[in-house]
Amino acid sequence: MQGEAQPPRLTDTSAQISRIALYVLLILLAIAILFPFYWMVATSLKTNPEAFYYPPDFYPPQPTLEHYEIIMTRDDINVPRWGWNSLVIAVATTVVTLFVTSLAAYGFARLDFPFKNLIFIVVIFTLMIPSQIYMIPNYLLVRDLGWLDTYHAVIWPAAPNVFGLFLLRQFFSTFPRELEEAATVDGASRIRIYWQLMIPVNRNALIALGIFVFLHSWNDLFWPLIVLSRVENRTLPVGLAVLAGAYGAGDSFSEPALIMAASSMSSIPVLIVYVIFQRRITQSFMLTGMGGR
Amino acid sequence: MISTIRRSLLPEKHSAAGSWRTWRWYLGNYAFILPFLILFAIFILRPILASLQMSFFRWEIFGPKPFIGFDNYDELLNDDLWWVALQNTVYFAFLTSALLTTVPIFIAIALNLPFRGRNVFRTLFFFPYVLSASVVGLVMRWLLGQQFGIVNYLLGIVGIGPIPFIADSDLVIPSLSVITLWWAFGFPMLIYLAGLSNIPQDIYEAARIDGARGWQMTRYITIPLLRPIILFVAVTQLISHFQVFAQPYVITNGGPAQDSFTVIFYMFRAAWTYFRMGFGTAMAVLLAVIIMAFTLLQFRFGGRRLEY
Repeated sequence: MQGEAQPPRLTDTSAQISRIALYVLLILLAIAILFPFYWMVATSLKTNPEAFYYPPDFYPPQPTLEHYEIIMTRDDINVPRWGWNSLVIAVATTVVTLFVTSLAAYGFARLDFPFKNLIFIVVIFTLMIPSQIYMIPNYLLVRDLGWLDTYHAVIWPAAPNVFGLFLLRQFFSTFPRELEEAATVDGASRIRIYWQLMIPVNRNALIALGIFVFLHSWNDLFWPLIVLSRVENRTLPVGLAVLAGAYGAGDSFSEPALIMAASSMSSIPVLIVYVIFQRRITQSFMLTGMGGR
Repeated sequence: MISTIRRSLLPEKHSAAGSWRTWRWYLGNYAFILPFLILFAIFILRPILASLQMSFFRWEIFGPKPFIGFDNYDELLNDDLWWVALQNTVYFAFLTSALLTTVPIFIAIALNLPFRGRNVFRTLFFFPYVLSASVVGLVMRWLLGQQFGIVNYLLGIVGIGPIPFIADSDLVIPSLSVITLWWAFGFPMLIYLAGLSNIPQDIYEAARIDGARGWQMTRYITIPLLRPIILFVAVTQLISHFQVFAQPYVITNGGPAQDSFTVIFYMFRAAWTYFRMGFGTAMAVLLAVIIMAFTLLQFRFGGRRLEY
């Protein structure tokens, strides 16, 4: 995660006790993190009446996949379809954002043109303004463009990522100017310097921003909830949130096993991807987190 | 050689013959920022200005859209639900930010100690953060129910409860805060871990020679040195939790009664349930003003650099 700088050592006589206390606390915390997942999966493998048993069974008495089968066949709870929508939208948003943002970041970091600083200040100023203020006018625009219930409605408004521009510009600015000048002497054009020098050299920053943008898009609720209304067009967060209303009963659910099966099905792929790429993902959030939200 | 570089990197200013080339050069440079700038103008700059404008109109999906001056703002100031929503939002934002600023410090300090398996704990503790609010909301709602929730069953074994965590008007906001803590503490934890790795070790060595022990080091060295990062986390958390929407939408639907209505939840209702777009933009503008005030605080604190 970080360099192998040596943290303070536990060398006291009480070190053993502290160490045991530390492990106990961390393991309790780990249980608090893991138990909700366990309970989600356990409930999803029960029948709905079993889910309401009192006292509850800590593991499903006769595990059943019936709710997963229901999800695969029923249209109003089409988790695979929602997952596909989420994936297409998140991938497209990430690609478009990285391309548009890195081009502009190179322009602002290295190229010269009239009003450059003025434009940059106006762009950066909008970082102070919460994004909810865009929502109503953007909704009306997207509606007038006929984009409601299309992927376009989610992808394009997310593409001008001001924070990403700011982040990449910082990285591009630290690239030694002498190397860029040497490339120019060798006859490289601006676009080649951007594509063959800036992009490869800063690929870690680009990957970090890419992961950040992808996860944001994948998990976003408010905007897709507004612009995607038909069942088959929903993303996972939207589909699940609507289920929460449709199957909600007070502070419980009318069909908890079905709801937990939908939740499990939408979070298990995330768990697998996270376990594979956890180092990259945590690094990405450390890098982008220090720079902004 | 030098002159070749000059010509290729910088245009020759003030030269009559070169002015056309200068402008062609500049146009080429503009091309790099143009795609971003067009999208920025359409989807960020325009809607900010349009929101300001719309908030002075009675702007509903159908029918005429007359200019009404400050009537939307006037209505908000006299609207009980607006004040309830604002109060809930402020309560939630401050409580959640306090939790998410303080608790992860201690977790990060613990995970910065040298012991086997600390990377496993780091990986595990960050995981809830990559889940969507919808999954977290559904699972927590199922866990925390008064009648069928497993948490209340476990509390019942030790003789507590049942506690209506999300069905009680006094408990609902603290419950949403703790759920948010569970969901999101991994992010500030990582930021603190990055900060801790930047504290030079000789400071601890010197303190040890002076006789300082574990807790004293935390209290008098680690936390003061983390101060700028703590402030940064506090302000960024506050800004982001003022915009809370998903937790009430998925977990409580604003209830019980209106006890977990937040500003953005109310804006969503006004604009997409009642189609009162102008009224909704007035709420967004007022919230933006509040959040900008906190952002200015961030710039004040963020500008300081840490010296060891």
